[in-house]
Amino acid sequence: MEYLVWVEETSFSIWMRESGPAFFGSLILHSVAMGFVVGVHVALDLRILGLAPRIPLSLMRRFFPVLRVSLIAVAVSGVLLLVAYPGKALTNEVFYLKLAIVAAALYITRSLTNRVLQDPSCDSGLVSTRSRWLAAVSLVLWAGAITSGRFLAYTHNMMMASHQY
Amino acid sequence: MEALLDFSHATGIYAFMHSAWGWPIVESLHFIGLSLLVGTVGLFDLRMIGLAKGIPMSALHKLVPWGVAGYGVNVLTGFMFVTSAPDQYLFNPAFQTKLALMGIAGVNVLFFYRFLFGAVQAAGASANASSTTKVVAAISLSCWIGVIVCGRLITYYRPPYHWCFWC
Repeated sequence: MEYLVWVEETSFSIWMRESGPAFFGSLILHSVAMGFVVGVHVALDLRILGLAPRIPLSLMRRFFPVLRVSLIAVAVSGVLLLVAYPGKALTNEVFYLKLAIVAAALYITRSLTNRVLQDPSCDSGLVSTRSRWLAAVSLVLWAGAITSGRFLAYTHNMMMASHQY
Repeated sequence: MEALLDFSHATGIYAFMHSAWGWPIVESLHFIGLSLLVGTVGLFDLRMIGLAKGIPMSALHKLVPWGVAGYGVNVLTGFMFVTSAPDQYLFNPAFQTKLALMGIAGVNVLFFYRFLFGAVQAAGASANASSTTKVVAAISLSCWIGVIVCGRLITYYRPPYHWCFWC
């Protein structure tokens, strides 16, 4: 708990909490970027599931720069929000659940990228049942990531470690 | 405003929204709907602007009905928020701006389907969209990003520190 108090008392953490533009800028960036992270996955997973079959699957990778930039933005804004209220997130199990869900979802993306997006025969033909299952699980996981993220604002045990209430 | 609250009470929306997990459940659905919109309409816009050439615009457009479904979810869930705490929304400049941006996006989409969609459907896999189409796609993308920004900002402005266009 002491290290949480230490982080909260750094001038950067205080600035993150007290500056409206810094805090809400991070919240907004986190939301917009998360929308794009999940959005690119929605398109990719729906295509793998067989919707919009005329999209050449391998070319879906051309949207990956959007995904990469969004993932970086999500991570940076997430760390900034964490620095603002470290105790709020780190003492909440839901926060670790969210991180685990995101990690699992990204692991699936990596697997699907190697398995499907780099296999030219998948462009026009049907994707294997196993890959379609993975795409379905990916969609469920991203919905779970969103839900756990939203619930963070309602399930925390404290706002700040330095003055708990 | 009274009418909205009465409706919310009469239909049980108010009781559900103010129950233990009502608000975050509906917020989660609202964000899932938003992601459907970004992932389909947003990527279609990006393709028209010039990203991911090689994917036929008409093929990508097949995903747009999912974005429309997401939009439907968000109209419904958004309505649940507004009727359950109308004072937090109607007098909120972020909410007013959000509605204005949705209005612009609405006119923009009508213009797109009336005048530009035919050429987009007929275009080849690596074709460039016309400059007008690119502008319309950029307006669409900017409006929806603006809608997300304003949605997030609604919690920043808390009435009574409010102003509105009609008061």
